[in-house]
Amino acid sequence: MKGRWWFHKVVLSMMAAVLLVAPGTAYSQEEVSSAIRRYRDMEVSTGYYERYEVLPQRRRPLVGLPGLRRDQFPYSPSGAQVRLRSRLADSHYGVKFYNVQKCETCHPAQSDDLHTVRANLTCRQCHGGEPIASIEHYYSPMNPIRRHAYVCAKCHEGASASFASYVIHPPNPADVKALEEFPALFYVFWAMAAIAVGTFLVFLPHTFLWGIRELLARKKETSSESHE
Amino acid sequence: MNNTRIRRFTAVQRLFHLLLMASFLAQGATGLARMYIETPWGQYIAWVFGGYEYCLTIHIYVGIFMLAGFLVHFFYLLAKIDWKGFPGSLMGRDSVLLQPRDAKEAYEHVLWLIGIRGWPRFDRWGYWEKFDYWAVFWGMVIMGVTGLLLAFSVSSSRIIPGWGLNVAFWVHRIEAILAMGHVFIIHFFIGHLRRHNFPMDKAMFEGSVDIDSVRHERPAWYERLEKNDDLKGAITTEAGRGRRAVFYAVGYLAMFTGLFLLIGGILNSAAITW
Repeated sequence: MKGRWWFHKVVLSMMAAVLLVAPGTAYSQEEVSSAIRRYRDMEVSTGYYERYEVLPQRRRPLVGLPGLRRDQFPYSPSGAQVRLRSRLADSHYGVKFYNVQKCETCHPAQSDDLHTVRANLTCRQCHGGEPIASIEHYYSPMNPIRRHAYVCAKCHEGASASFASYVIHPPNPADVKALEEFPALFYVFWAMAAIAVGTFLVFLPHTFLWGIRELLARKKETSSESHE
Repeated sequence: MNNTRIRRFTAVQRLFHLLLMASFLAQGATGLARMYIETPWGQYIAWVFGGYEYCLTIHIYVGIFMLAGFLVHFFYLLAKIDWKGFPGSLMGRDSVLLQPRDAKEAYEHVLWLIGIRGWPRFDRWGYWEKFDYWAVFWGMVIMGVTGLLLAFSVSSSRIIPGWGLNVAFWVHRIEAILAMGHVFIIHFFIGHLRRHNFPMDKAMFEGSVDIDSVRHERPAWYERLEKNDDLKGAITTEAGRGRRAVFYAVGYLAMFTGLFLLIGGILNSAAITW
């Protein structure tokens, strides 16, 4: 029994070492290899990993969003505007007077969405404390490979990668800009608007004319309703 | 005073309409309360239902109730189809399906509106009534599907991509505005406020309409009933004073609720984040 104590010590210190380097707590239990495949699917059967499941290669330290409308994350939560700083460990590195500025001073369009206005979330509740890593930085909690688990699932228990492709900061669906950033929303918005406006264009004048017309025509006498 | 009315809606149909009316207003109020929560008007409506969060809870439960009602109505519809005469019966005079005849009647009605022609020979259902019916039918599907997607967003994003919820949200919102606008302006006015129906068309509450009104407004239906000897069986008496008072109270409560939502919604529309 005593002879095996060194073995236990080794195991315990290895476990301690693992705890020291382990990543922070996630709020849901899975990272995904793609929108439809889980780690487990691959691990049990083939041992196959997609490239962003393993540590970054020497030549490719940062893994980012695939391009707009490609691959399994077609829309970014920001409406996929062009970002020059999307791969930095500190996305605000070098911004002048950074610590006396408010988020909405530079990001006004990002502060009028449902999460901000209705749910009263502050930017930091999702984007985290300083330094705020760029969304495409490999270790950012906002990186699409783990965003659903590290950010969305804080409130939306069980959030999946697909769920996390909900566009938090959507463009104005009526705006031409939405045609580039979120075409599905643009087309559906205008199709629905056309149905609604079309209905009103037909029936509002129709109703109005009917009202006028009956003012000019007395109703014929009826037996039961004449007393009312 | 007796035997002066013709049966137009059965008790089951009136119950469907009453439940639809109550749940539609509840959905409108709770939905607008959340949409307008930034304004005092929206906060007032939310207060009635116990606040922002309770509004959503009520909205979801009433929505599921409406969908259940829609399902029941769908089976009711299947049971009501005259299967012996199928499919010809779908194009019958008592059918609510839109038919070529409706286009002709709509055209004649427009001519009447501008004073060129006499009143068209409407049958049991006017084209605008058929449109109302199918508008609700279509609206139920649209609102129900998008509503379920949004209410159970974590589950539904297993079926559709998460960005589909952005799209579903706007479909739900625009369809809701269309539905409320149509009911609170057009349906209320044509049903109750135009001169020939003022102060209220009680047909959907009482189930019957005045026999002389039918003769003037729906001559084809009246003559059809007369020709087929159905008139005697369709004739009924007017509801008593007490019941009529209830009809007026319920109808006007619904109408004022609707107008309150309509006017408040329009006045406050510039004050919210869309």
